Amino acid sequence: MATLELVDLAKRFSKKVWGVRKMDLDVNEKEFIVLLGPSGCGKTTTMRMVAGLEEVTRGTIHLDGKDITDIPPRDRGISMVFQNYAIWPHMTVFDNIAFSLKLKKMPKAEIRQRVQETADMVKIGELLKRLPGQLSGGQQQRVALARALAVKPKLFLMDEPLSNLDAKLRVVMRTELKAIHQQTEATSIFVTHDQSEAMSMADRIVIMKDGEIIQIGTPDDVYFRSANMFVAGFIGTPPTNFFNIRCSVDGEEISLKHSNFKLVLPLKDFSELDAYNGKELVVGVRPEDIAVDSSDKALFTNKVLVVEPQGSHQVVALKLNDAIVKTIVSADQSVKPGDSIGFNFNLKRLHFFNMETENRIKTASEI
Amino acid sequence: MNSALQRQLRRSAKRTSLYIVLVGILFIIIFPIFFLFSFSFMSDYETYSEWPKPLVPSFKADFKIDKDTEGYHLYIFNKSENDFMPFGPLFFSNSEKDVSNLRKFIKLQANSKITDQKIEEYLRIVDKESKVEFSVRKDLLANYILFFQVINGAARAVLNSLMVAGATVVIALTIGGMGGYAFARYFFKGKNLLKLSVLFVRMFPAVSLAIPMVIILARMGLYDRPLGLSLVYSVGQISMSIWITASVFMSIPISLEEAAMIFGTTRVGAFWHVTLPLALPGLAACAMYSFIGSWNEVIAAVVLTQFNPTFPVVVYKALVGSQGQINLITAGSVAQAVPAIIFTLIIRKYIIQMWGGVKV
Amino acid sequence: MRITKPQLSLSRDNRKKMVPYLLIAPVIIYYTIFWLFPVLNAIVESFRDVDGIWTLGNYIYIFKDPVFYTALFDTAFLVIFSVTIEFVLAFGLALLINTKFKGSSIFLFLAMIPMALPAVAVGAMWSSGLATRGWLNSFLMHAGIIDDASKILFLAGGEMSRLWLIIIIDAWTVIPFVMIILLAGLQGIGADVREAGYIFGGTKFQVLRKITIPMLKPTITTAMILRIISAIQIWLIIVMLFGFNRLPTLLEQIVLNYDELGAASFERIGLALSVIVAIIVSATAILYLKVSGSFEKKKEQEVE
Repeated sequence: MATLELVDLAKRFSKKVWGVRKMDLDVNEKEFIVLLGPSGCGKTTTMRMVAGLEEVTRGTIHLDGKDITDIPPRDRGISMVFQNYAIWPHMTVFDNIAFSLKLKKMPKAEIRQRVQETADMVKIGELLKRLPGQLSGGQQQRVALARALAVKPKLFLMDEPLSNLDAKLRVVMRTELKAIHQQTEATSIFVTHDQSEAMSMADRIVIMKDGEIIQIGTPDDVYFRSANMFVAGFIGTPPTNFFNIRCSVDGEEISLKHSNFKLVLPLKDFSELDAYNGKELVVGVRPEDIAVDSSDKALFTNKVLVVEPQGSHQVVALKLNDAIVKTIVSADQSVKPGDSIGFNFNLKRLHFFNMETENRIKTASEI
Repeated sequence: MNSALQRQLRRSAKRTSLYIVLVGILFIIIFPIFFLFSFSFMSDYETYSEWPKPLVPSFKADFKIDKDTEGYHLYIFNKSENDFMPFGPLFFSNSEKDVSNLRKFIKLQANSKITDQKIEEYLRIVDKESKVEFSVRKDLLANYILFFQVINGAARAVLNSLMVAGATVVIALTIGGMGGYAFARYFFKGKNLLKLSVLFVRMFPAVSLAIPMVIILARMGLYDRPLGLSLVYSVGQISMSIWITASVFMSIPISLEEAAMIFGTTRVGAFWHVTLPLALPGLAACAMYSFIGSWNEVIAAVVLTQFNPTFPVVVYKALVGSQGQINLITAGSVAQAVPAIIFTLIIRKYIIQMWGGVKV
Repeated sequence: MRITKPQLSLSRDNRKKMVPYLLIAPVIIYYTIFWLFPVLNAIVESFRDVDGIWTLGNYIYIFKDPVFYTALFDTAFLVIFSVTIEFVLAFGLALLINTKFKGSSIFLFLAMIPMALPAVAVGAMWSSGLATRGWLNSFLMHAGIIDDASKILFLAGGEMSRLWLIIIIDAWTVIPFVMIILLAGLQGIGADVREAGYIFGGTKFQVLRKITIPMLKPTITTAMILRIISAIQIWLIIVMLFGFNRLPTLLEQIVLNYDELGAASFERIGLALSVIVAIIVSATAILYLKVSGSFEKKKEQEVE
């Protein structure tokens, strides 16, 4: 198992177009890293540079301390699962999986054993004689996976491998991939634009935007301590609600004024906000941190716009001024569109952001 | 960084060698075509009296006239000799200055136009100063004009070719287009067999088909008529049209037609209002492809025409029968090639798209 | 009413099934009149003499004619070498263009020009170039490579040099066409299957041999068959460069018999030769399909 180091990595496609502007990343042994970001953020380009499919414009890539920046893909000790599987249609499943082993001149018996092992691991042991054209999308995906696993790579790359599967199969494969990772302990990089996929699988998530890293952290880090408004808005469904607020410090208290409500917080827990006295800032509140409060202590009362039942819970949307605010309400609560309901924030889970830089303002109250 | 520098060096070395190879290939492709064009602008004198032949046509011809006891002598500047050379056997004494004859000679041999007055003016200078040197602008298109004047029926042949190609386009696009639509939208028995018809029709030599076709066309009263020839060309062009139009129609999602049908038109209406307008560029490309095919075709035309040859036949007969000089023939060839080249370049995207869908 | 209703829907269903056949009917009719009929006619007439009496005489004449065997050899030589050379070079070119380097579309644009050139233009181009005082010798002299005494006599060589000249010219003309077919096929293969090849240990050559070429096989078969068919039928450029009977090929002999010699008895020999050529073409095509294994693959698909 291996470590991976990306130092000052950059890729420029043409004079004006950068694929990746600057990328510094250390991946630890056995770690499962997810590169997450909207399309065009450079996550796939980064992976392709690590794979050796894309030439590097600047920077270095070290695998297990060895500089692999300029060596061809086949000598890097990596393997990869492609978005469209890229399994070879003219070869049987067996030949697909055995391809690299044959090129390595592994003895035939050993190849047969290794192929069977990996095929069994991804549950396609019965399909070895078939051609890819005769398989379903899910089975093809498993062939691609088996092919990548059979190599026993130092580093395992996955480029949006689940994006072509239907929703249900995707969730199943997530679990299986995680189990396989725990079994093989291969250092893995997984590219996706699906934040729930990232959250459920990653040891650490690397959030990218416009060719740069925005935040690196565990799923908890990026969820509860989002580095900026982009991350807070990108991670979590429904996304974080943002409120523009004017801050004023009044003795031991801070009051945050919004057009629809006024929050009063103790200064000792939020002393970092002292600097914003008299200024505007943004407070972010996740949907599950907005709770129904039918008492008179409710922060604000508003009409319900839409209710989206999800089974385990329901998402309630309100229209606050011009902005849509979404909250998560437990399933047993009866809420109907048009109802006037009081809400309150979970004050321990407030996120503050600088209005200009959109960066997080750290507070002592953070968990 | 050292490795970054190395990488850059390696990359630029790779790119340089790539472009050297590319330039080499382009040279091989362009080089002969360049000479085809170049020759078509040369005068008889340039093509036949200079050796080695010039690589590019000149834009003017330089002349010298001098005078001795016999009379006036005309010289032309020869680039390969780098000197004035006697031009024509023609010198005349003081008494009989046949100026118009000289003008015609210069025009025919050097593709240069000069007026009688100018010649007389120059002759006066010779009288005064014993010699004169002057240059005359060359008429670059002279060969093209001459080709149509000298070669019998060349202009008529162009018209024939246009009619043949036009009729072929109409026949091939109508019949082939219907077939192509069937290929793109329906499953039917014999589909694969029909798809291979392009190959089948080529297996029997086209020339040999021409022999029985003469009889068939004669019976229909179409022998040696443009329409008759286009009926023969259409055999090959229909199968090409099926391939091209099938790929064109396939690229238009059937859901668009279905949407039109849901919003109130019939299947035929959906075709007319939705599919056809979207397919129009592709169909135009298909039309151009058929046009080029029959415009360029010479083999069947040689057999199937008698008094109404098409343009390629005229050029072919001029070449094989040595009716014309090479600069005239190249002019005829270029005149024939230019429309074909332009059309091919316009539809190049569709040509690739078409072949993408073709598999045996 | 109740009884007729299902019948009505059945007939409507039938009418729908008719649509594709109606659409392709004109094609079939056209082929029957203007292809099948003349072909059958040619075959029948090849077995008759001028007076309409059944005979094998036309064929016997051909098989007794030594020129036929020269033509057969020349044609076979041309087909084997020109198709192989054209394929290799065109494939290389297609791979090159498919790397999508900067300027590749302009390159493609220029590389397609020979494809558009009319056959007579190609003839005029090369006959003006290869003549002893043609542009090729002129160019070589301007470049200082040869002098007047060492002019190359391109067209005056022996049979082999004539054959190779035709192969080179044919390659120049046809490579763009083959390249376009192969390029279209290559563009249909996603880059990712090749990339997967590199990731899983393949060198450039191994990926080409084990992934690209096998996946391109249907396209390659198409290109090869089309080329073989037309290479067997080469004659026009030969006649334009050398005239008749200097480098006999099968088709050249057909045209010679039919068009040049003129007499009705020669016409029939032309027809008999055409039948022979058609048989050779189909046999070669089927042989190629068999050797390349295209039939087996089709069977496999049918079994599925």
